[in-house]
Amino acid sequence: MAQPAPLYIVASPRPRIGKTLIARLLMEFLRQSRRPLVGYDLNPREPTLAERFPKLVWPVNIADTRGQMELFDRLLADPASTQVIDLGYGPFDQFFAVMREISFVQEARRRGIEPIVLFVADPSAATVRSYAELRRRLPATFVPVHNESVALMFANEDFPPTRADCGLIRIPRLSPLVRGVIDRPNFSFNAYMAKQSGGPTEVHQWIGNIYTEFRDFELRLLMGRLTSSLGGAPAPAPRRKGRRVR
Amino acid sequence: MAKPTVVVVGADKGGVGKTTVSRTLLDYFTAHHVPTRAFDTESPKGTLTRFHPDISEIVDATSVSDQMRIFDTLSTTDAGVTVIDVRAGLLSPTLRSLRDIGFLDAVKKGQLTFVVFHILGSSIASLNEIEETSSFAADGRYFLVKNFINNTSFFEWDQPTHASYFRKFKDAVEINIPKLNEMAFEQVELASVPFLNFVANKGQKGEAANYSFVLRGYVRHWLGNVWGEYDRIKLTEIIAGSGIATSGPRVQVVSRS
Repeated sequence: MAQPAPLYIVASPRPRIGKTLIARLLMEFLRQSRRPLVGYDLNPREPTLAERFPKLVWPVNIADTRGQMELFDRLLADPASTQVIDLGYGPFDQFFAVMREISFVQEARRRGIEPIVLFVADPSAATVRSYAELRRRLPATFVPVHNESVALMFANEDFPPTRADCGLIRIPRLSPLVRGVIDRPNFSFNAYMAKQSGGPTEVHQWIGNIYTEFRDFELRLLMGRLTSSLGGAPAPAPRRKGRRVR
Repeated sequence: MAKPTVVVVGADKGGVGKTTVSRTLLDYFTAHHVPTRAFDTESPKGTLTRFHPDISEIVDATSVSDQMRIFDTLSTTDAGVTVIDVRAGLLSPTLRSLRDIGFLDAVKKGQLTFVVFHILGSSIASLNEIEETSSFAADGRYFLVKNFINNTSFFEWDQPTHASYFRKFKDAVEINIPKLNEMAFEQVELASVPFLNFVANKGQKGEAANYSFVLRGYVRHWLGNVWGEYDRIKLTEIIAGSGIATSGPRVQVVSRS
């Protein structure tokens, strides 16, 4: 049985929360597996992801219907590829409004595409409200992402994943001293990982940890699908410590 | 035997979306499996027939022979519902003709079911039309349709004025047709198919088409809201009250907001 192709939507209603960095990491992680891959950058003013991956990522402006067709029709037309969307905070509301209005999730599933919202969580009340509202209104799979560089802690119960087996994805903090390394215009996580002549550095460990998170997440998704196809209830993801703030 | 139902869609002003409303009604009846025929009075060109060629024909509502084609066949046609898309400016004359030929008397006697969808424009003049037209539908069902599909703002509809007009017509029920995404509307126009076919990604003859999913989604959502208004006024019950069976479940192509 063919597995549904994931459509990852990296999203947050807040700016400067690390969405593009997470999308970059995900793109490079997925690239390693040599699966067909395509990305969409929905930051019309600053298409950083598209600039990083000019042959893989298309900048799209969904402010008008033509742009919406360019994005959503193309997503549906490509069920063979793993797709990644870097959703800027500007078009955040409009993106999900259109998605809901055109019943995109249902159609995507019908075509063998599984929309997965990687929601970058933070403890602000607006973000918590936004997550709850989206989960209520959209039948997609929601997975909270904890970017420890921008939010030290949040309450787990504010960001329950749609599926118990998915858990959350943790992006560990990288010390500011080496942060500049990964921000270099031509920096590639995969190329950096391939060069360890002087032994693993903090950046190597950081990338390795994140790739492990992504790998675990994909495995949990796969296990969940297999378990449900066998008629059982998926096992909940292991709980992480140290995130609860109240 | 089932009572024939006549649905008149009209306005005394052009460009308010009469044909669009007629099209949504034809789709609604199709989805409810109600045998329906339609007359397009945009003679000689016709707009409704472009979208529903199999069930509609162009007539000249002012010609006696064409009036006979419509009304003398009510009891013999297989279609339980007859939709008449009345050309701009002809609503009041058409209703007067219906009175003159004894049609309204038949409605009064319960031999026919009569429904009027009066599409309103944005001006006070449009409100003034209500008084005249509603009097003709005293024994039928009279619906006032505010059509926002072409972004009508109803700017002259000062609330107190609007309320004072509507108070005069206690039996009139208001229907709101929401706005449809312009590009989606344009694509349906270009495709010249019923909204239902567009949503189902089909051409005029039911052949597979290749319309944008985004545009189909917009149309599906919009049509769902329009049909929601028809459900609210219990249109199927009005038809069923005539003894016309609405057989089978409604075609499920719509989502409500």
